[in-house]
Amino acid sequence: MLTQLILTLVTFQQHSSTYKKTKRFFYHLLEDPDSRLKSRFDKIMIVSVLFSVFLLIDEVDTPASSFERMFEHILIALFIFEYLLRAWLYNDVHHIILKHHAKALYLNRPMQWGKVAKLIVAKKIEHMLTPLALIDLLAILPSFRSLTLFRALLIFRLFKLFRYFKSLRLFAEVLDSKRFELYTLAVFLGFLIFTGSIGIYLFEHAANGQQVGNLFDAVYWSIVTVTSVGYGDIAPQTTGGRLVAIGLILTGFGVLSFLISIIVSAVNDRMHGLRESSIYAELNRYKSFVIICGFGRVGQHIAKQLEKHQQHFIIIDNNEINAMNARHLGYLVIHADASKNDVLINAGIKQKASAVLCTTGDDVVNVYITLTSRYLNSSIRIISRANNPKNVKKLYQAGADNVIQPFEIAALVVAQYIGKPVAFEAILGVIREEKQFIMETLPVYTGSMIDGITIAELDFERKKLMLIGVVSTNPAHRKHKNSYALKNQHFYFNPPSFFILRPGDLLVVLGREIGIVYFREQLKNSRPKESKR
Amino acid sequence: MKRIAVFGYSIMSLEVIKQLNEEQHSYVFIVKNDAEALLVAEQGFDTKVIDFRNDEAIKSVGIGENIDILFCFYPKDSDNVFLTISARALDDELTIIAIVDDPESAEKLLAAGANKIIDPYEICGRKTHDMLAKPDITDILDNTVFGRHDLHIAQVEIPKNSSLEQTKTSALLLAGTYNLILIGVVDKVSGDNLHFVMDEKDHTLNIGDVLVVLGPARDIKAFKEEIEIVTNIS
Repeated sequence: MLTQLILTLVTFQQHSSTYKKTKRFFYHLLEDPDSRLKSRFDKIMIVSVLFSVFLLIDEVDTPASSFERMFEHILIALFIFEYLLRAWLYNDVHHIILKHHAKALYLNRPMQWGKVAKLIVAKKIEHMLTPLALIDLLAILPSFRSLTLFRALLIFRLFKLFRYFKSLRLFAEVLDSKRFELYTLAVFLGFLIFTGSIGIYLFEHAANGQQVGNLFDAVYWSIVTVTSVGYGDIAPQTTGGRLVAIGLILTGFGVLSFLISIIVSAVNDRMHGLRESSIYAELNRYKSFVIICGFGRVGQHIAKQLEKHQQHFIIIDNNEINAMNARHLGYLVIHADASKNDVLINAGIKQKASAVLCTTGDDVVNVYITLTSRYLNSSIRIISRANNPKNVKKLYQAGADNVIQPFEIAALVVAQYIGKPVAFEAILGVIREEKQFIMETLPVYTGSMIDGITIAELDFERKKLMLIGVVSTNPAHRKHKNSYALKNQHFYFNPPSFFILRPGDLLVVLGREIGIVYFREQLKNSRPKESKR
Repeated sequence: MKRIAVFGYSIMSLEVIKQLNEEQHSYVFIVKNDAEALLVAEQGFDTKVIDFRNDEAIKSVGIGENIDILFCFYPKDSDNVFLTISARALDDELTIIAIVDDPESAEKLLAAGANKIIDPYEICGRKTHDMLAKPDITDILDNTVFGRHDLHIAQVEIPKNSSLEQTKTSALLLAGTYNLILIGVVDKVSGDNLHFVMDEKDHTLNIGDVLVVLGPARDIKAFKEEIEIVTNIS
């Protein structure tokens, strides 16, 4: 009966979307390093912890007020709740149970509940013994005022800040990465202190018993000397003692230098990774962004345009000078090979990236990046640069949506400029929104105010807009002349007044931005309620 | 027919010639050596091997005489600046179009007398951004106005004694009559700026004003011819 109840419960957990959603929410709140929610929670906790520590210090001299007691109770409740939540988040108990249940069913033998319970407890204890979990637990204890010993544990509440300060955590990680070197140094330092303590004790105890009365005094003096602190409260009087002091001071310098060099090299080693993780965190804040692969001449101009139009982007370039240039301009840069899967995945090609631009000066690289990008995301927009016209087809084959050729486009500009400079500059200005007028596409929604009406009825003149044409896939329009085939649709230039608009058609209009935005809103608002939803 | 002198053999120069209407332009290619001359001649163009540093040599090509447009397409900006200064000194009316490698050289070329500076990388960057920002519009224009289809944007100047003189733009009705869309008008009196017709419906046309129209090539041609006929009759 109990077995059945537990199995029903864990199956519910396995399939319940509410349970998963709740767990995901608390994961984002407490554990996800890139989550905004966690960042806000951390800030609140930092303030609360500091405030609580000040209150506890204040209580040393003055009795606690009712507000202070209430605050402490709330905070402790929060700490306990957080502690339990972290233990819950650490692993999925239902996975362990279901796995063993499936195993038992397969082998046709009874479920070993004792073994399962042991495993569950072992996992939770594993979590409880992690340094941060221990700090969490110790941070709760100072509130038990009756136990004076626990007051000393107040310091652990400050250690709890490690959880909430990203940079403190990172520093701990940096030290952790140099565990071996630090361990070697600690062994050497221990040996040095031990030898120094024995030496000073042997030389000084007899002649200077007042200062070096026991071995503890000798150890204390050795540590103070080796770290170059030298309080001066204990000073060697004998020649032997002084020789030990000289030896300790000189080796102490070496040890300190070694320690500093270990930390500096660890920080240096992690700097690249740290910088990249801060970039990924920044990218995660954006709703969408563009990935620019290659920060050469073309990449630079694209970045400039995107920056001008306040669009987010990330640059990936393998060339150190290019990466440095981009960094100097204040852009987000990943110094890596953009053709590597993990580089593009980390950059967000599968998540928030809206387009990939392959703009290196090497067609071979561009084809490879295009292919990798398409393989990683089948729907992302890819625009690739072809330096040699012969490679255009290959780029399309690799999965590019558009291929741009710098010299072909530049040649087109020259050709258009000759004979009609004003017209050409005007149309470019309209596309780039440099003029007061813009060209936009407006959709014909099903059931909207323009669905099924003729161009004449629309009266663009009154709206101070100019209709250039209609883009449509609707075969009903095929009878009209001035039809130009686009990729999967047709563009009907200068449609006649009797042209009937159909749902899904796109109106290509020219006009002032204010007029176009107003008309777009009218179209949106005229949609039937169901389609709005 | 306009005569164009192309200085510098590169992908860019060949691409430009590919884009231009063969019937309306004739070319002379100026190359550095015989090997380049052979390559260009294979493409069917007149070639000359001259030293652009020599004024007499560039005069011999026709600059200052029958050349209307000069393309300075050397890879080095300094060469293009030198050529631009030399050519401008010989002909004030010459249209000089120069390519630029370093963006900083653009102003130097303009100061030297170039009419239009082309930075292929900048154009490419802008184009990519246009594709991202306005995919629908760029796709339509690339496939029609700038592409393989027969839809063009054109400038039509109001000739002397034209029937369109003193006509109001609102009375033109080009869309219905000529299958053309009137985008705007350049008022000769007020400079080279284009005034969009949506704002200035009642602009009265004068001789020398320029209509910027969009439409199929045949309709543009028909419209231009009609203006010509009117001019001839009157």
